[in-house]
Amino acid sequence: MKLRAILGYTAAALTLLAALLTPFLLYGLFSKGVAALPLNVDEVYSGGPKVRTIPMGAYSIDVHQPVYPHLLQSEKPFVQLDWQPVSALPPHVSDVVDINGDGQPDIRVSFDVPSDPKAPLRVNVDSLNPRYQAMQNAGKERFSRLIVRVDHEKGKAGEDVIVVRVPLTKP
Amino acid sequence: MATEARTLPLARPAPRGILWSLFLTLPIFIWSLLMMGFHPGAKFDLVSIIAAILTTLFMTALFFMMMRTHSTYRWRRIFFVSLGVLFPIGFIHDLVVARGTMGIPIEEMIAGRTPFCFMPIPMLILPAAFTRTLIFPGSFASATHGIAVMVGLWLALTLVMGKGWCSYACFFGGIEEGVAAIPPRARIRKLDPRLRFVPWAVLLAMVLLSLALFEPAYCMWLCPFKAVTEYVAARNLLGMVQNVIFILLFAGLVIVLPFLTKKRTQCSWFCPFGAFQSIFNKISIFEMKIDQSRCHPCLLCQNACPNLSLSKESIARGETLLSCMKCGACVDACPRQAIVWHIKGTQIAWKPERARLMFIYGAWALAIMFGGTIIANGLATILHFVV
Repeated sequence: MKLRAILGYTAAALTLLAALLTPFLLYGLFSKGVAALPLNVDEVYSGGPKVRTIPMGAYSIDVHQPVYPHLLQSEKPFVQLDWQPVSALPPHVSDVVDINGDGQPDIRVSFDVPSDPKAPLRVNVDSLNPRYQAMQNAGKERFSRLIVRVDHEKGKAGEDVIVVRVPLTKP
Repeated sequence: MATEARTLPLARPAPRGILWSLFLTLPIFIWSLLMMGFHPGAKFDLVSIIAAILTTLFMTALFFMMMRTHSTYRWRRIFFVSLGVLFPIGFIHDLVVARGTMGIPIEEMIAGRTPFCFMPIPMLILPAAFTRTLIFPGSFASATHGIAVMVGLWLALTLVMGKGWCSYACFFGGIEEGVAAIPPRARIRKLDPRLRFVPWAVLLAMVLLSLALFEPAYCMWLCPFKAVTEYVAARNLLGMVQNVIFILLFAGLVIVLPFLTKKRTQCSWFCPFGAFQSIFNKISIFEMKIDQSRCHPCLLCQNACPNLSLSKESIARGETLLSCMKCGACVDACPRQAIVWHIKGTQIAWKPERARLMFIYGAWALAIMFGGTIIANGLATILHFVV
């Protein structure tokens, strides 16, 4: 009984010590430990890894790997394309994009680039390859079918990116 | 040891002397100054200085009263309700300044800037374990709002407090605890004890649904606190339905039912994170115990418990249920000092004040670090409008 009491008080004292160390050591240690785990944010949100960049003169288009949502996930498969930097884009973009890199055009993407970064965007996608679905006047209804302006770290020198996600047809 | 336990007075102890209480409070005062950023090199504007000073005095004064009166619950409740009120004020203000709305636009999710609270943690575990994927539209390793930062903080605090998280760290529970404190007595007194199993059912359902749908199901569909923090921007009918559910759950579980029952009904009957956190009571060294030689089951403790963590059966066994949040309400309510703070392995009712002090120093230190900074932020937000 005495040993159990000694162990109990020792554990209580260590818990108190842990509390005092939390802001200076433990919190950072645990956060770094968790951050070191081999985990990634779901590709439906992140858009998947970039596979290649298509230079378009003053700007470029990043092509991401196609994203296939999990079995019961409510989204459809899609591929993400990033136009960047937004500052180098003309007022109206109309580009033919070879997504799969086979030398053949897959889609034609057209959208206006408003000067107001908060203005809503609309995109038209003409399908030149049946693998990719056409979109007419699409906004940001779903993660798998959208056009949005994103000001995240992916942009070169912190510049904005216009993200277009094109849904894939079922293979 | 046994002799000392028997000689513990039946009546509530007299207040501590002011000087002795001040002495016991001094470490907390110094800690508060440190946590509020009063150290060499810190930079403040006037409003932040005022908010930090007020928070330091507030947290120190509450701890002083805990020391002087030997009572934990009522002073902790003042902190907790303040946290519950000031968190949404600071958080909503910050959201509106940053994005102009409380709704999360889809581009913010794609950019990984959805703030991560602790609620989805249990829902992330299985998808992460099976697919190495985090089913949350946030950033994993961002230094300011990343998922890893919140998980690290939660781990550290849970190590110290166990389920005490729900009484000293959760920035949502204070709202319903405040509402529950308003009426002088409960309008609904007969509560089905089986309701306490519902959070486990919600936890199981949400964990499995999150794995199946690959989205944090509770955050997407059932979190009542979306109503006072941030919600899914209502882009379509689905978004509208989600927001209506959030508002109805908030009104029912956080406002109406706590007012009628004087219980934390969202925590007791619904919260999956609370159920998940209960598991960590098994590894926490601190617990509540009932000295059965002193207990004449009057059930005052059961009535006082805001979380349905005491039943007749558990009282007969001399312990609280797994869901005990260590808020201290039962200890304060017991007229015979039968229910006490306890360190596992030690004899029940042997120097319970020592066990209380060891828990409360750790819990309050972390409450200042986490909740205190949130309170200071909320105060600064209000002061920005006033000063």
